[in-house]
Amino acid sequence: MTHKLSDGGQVLHVGMLARVEGEGGMHIEIHNNVVQSVKLNIFEPPRFYEAFLRGRKYTEPPDITARICGICPVAYQTASVEAIEQICGAETTPEIQAMRRLLYCGEWIESHSLHIFMLHAPDFLGFDSVIEMAADYGDVVEMALRLKKAGNDLMTLVGGRAIHPVNVKVGGFYRMPTKLEMLALRPAIASGLEEAFATIKLVSTFDFPEMEQAYEYVALRHPDYYAIERGTVVSTSGTAFPVREFPDHVKEFHVAHSNALHAQLDGAMYMVGPLARYTLNFAQLSERCKAAAKEAGLGETCRNPFKSIIVRAVELAYAFEEALRIIDEWKDGAAPSVTVTPRAGEGCGASEAPRGTIFHRYVLDAEGVIQDAQIVPPTSQNQPAIEADLREAAQSWVDMDDHDLTHRCEHAIRNYDPCISCATHFLDLRVDRS
Amino acid sequence: MTRAAGAEPLVVGLGSPDRGDDGVGPTVAGAIAGLGLAGVRVSAHEDPTDLIHLWEGVDVAVVVDAVMSGHAPGEIVLCEVGRGEGPLPESCWAKTGRGGTHAFGLAAAVELSRALGHLPPRVVLVGIEAASFDHGAPLSPAVEAAVGPAVAQVRAVLTDASAGLDA
Repeated sequence: MTHKLSDGGQVLHVGMLARVEGEGGMHIEIHNNVVQSVKLNIFEPPRFYEAFLRGRKYTEPPDITARICGICPVAYQTASVEAIEQICGAETTPEIQAMRRLLYCGEWIESHSLHIFMLHAPDFLGFDSVIEMAADYGDVVEMALRLKKAGNDLMTLVGGRAIHPVNVKVGGFYRMPTKLEMLALRPAIASGLEEAFATIKLVSTFDFPEMEQAYEYVALRHPDYYAIERGTVVSTSGTAFPVREFPDHVKEFHVAHSNALHAQLDGAMYMVGPLARYTLNFAQLSERCKAAAKEAGLGETCRNPFKSIIVRAVELAYAFEEALRIIDEWKDGAAPSVTVTPRAGEGCGASEAPRGTIFHRYVLDAEGVIQDAQIVPPTSQNQPAIEADLREAAQSWVDMDDHDLTHRCEHAIRNYDPCISCATHFLDLRVDRS
Repeated sequence: MTRAAGAEPLVVGLGSPDRGDDGVGPTVAGAIAGLGLAGVRVSAHEDPTDLIHLWEGVDVAVVVDAVMSGHAPGEIVLCEVGRGEGPLPESCWAKTGRGGTHAFGLAAAVELSRALGHLPPRVVLVGIEAASFDHGAPLSPAVEAAVGPAVAQVRAVLTDASAGLDA
């Protein structure tokens, strides 16, 4: 919707931004073709999960925090159990870590395939939604649904169900899936792997607006593999620190126009997510993924946010590769969990959610009752970067008509696959011109 | 009667068992499964996108789900939404189908299935008007009381479908 301002300017209003997880608002003011201000308005009341956790038992965070998001519950579960286990001095086994990584691969597969095809591809192919897209690209949508189903099936096998898994506990799992059960999924995972590589090729043919981000990228890094379920924090400026020092470097703060806390790393804006992971950990991708990325036109770093769809496709293929590797190497007989005895202390955990690094911190008393909890999801951290991208997009394409500029701005937001549901709801996009 | 392969009727209970009356779909599906009806496939799912694969190749699908349509809690609403009924109005699915995947609902699943050619000729929604979706809550009394009548409705649809096939 477009209308004139009293000062001769213009308001462009979209009632609800489409194809993002959750709902929120955006306000852009343009005067004399110069962008004056950009605000990502997240005005849904806070959900108070951190407060809910206080007074609960040390065993409860994986089940409580999984409820924050239906798309990335494993990210919350993994970071929470890591933090609690750190406090309690519990050392998990390699088998438990492998199973956590397998479960997390299921989440990456599910989340990335949903975003690539159902939320992001319609931007490039000129459709309002995957439903309209299906009429012309039925084969592509069928492939997307198969990919998502493979992720769902992995989540169901390892996590007990596809949404909000129930098999995760502090110390490991309630039950380990058997090799036989895993092998039943193997054909679909193997087929999904090839379709993921086909996805890389497909999305690389899209037209990408030119845009470069200069922000600091932050991700976890693990010495042995492309970080998913654990690691230490690294950044493109060379900053590196263990997860327990996250609160020393990352400061959350409130801004008036958002009920989700913003964050800065050592006083500056930064970005987490697939582009950051890819840029910081490219060397740890498989040779096949590296080759496919290069064939798709990516370098060893990627700073064009519109190309995040290619990076997600590369990570989708990597998640399938890792799932196959874990299934093939699995041997039955490992204990599903280790004993975790509560003790007083503070602990931190972090993992790589599909949208970027997620951080949890807990304080327990001697009986294992939670005294304090802090959760920093990726979309909260990315709010300043989203706003910076919007400012640049709105300015770069200010000569577009309102319809096209609005779409370009929405597209710039969707590059991040923001999960506003993780913090709040309702997005309403508005551009004021004068 | 001999059915074509893959043509056995499908009953799906849709909803989360941990969200109050949203669990009525899985509850009714569980009751139907308990009847042991021959030649009827029964399952429960939380994610409506699962339907797109589940009902591919099926002639008759019955979806049992909690609804909020302005009726009194526990009232049962029947809707025919299969291929034979024509597309749903855009207002039914546009907000969810063009939203995030958290919001992707039954109507969007119906229309995406239609676009892909997966929508069965006959899909019957047995909707039970809900009163509450509280976390961890049991079914509300009105919805609990509607489980039996909903099971009867599902059986009536299956009987009708069977008669249609026999004919």
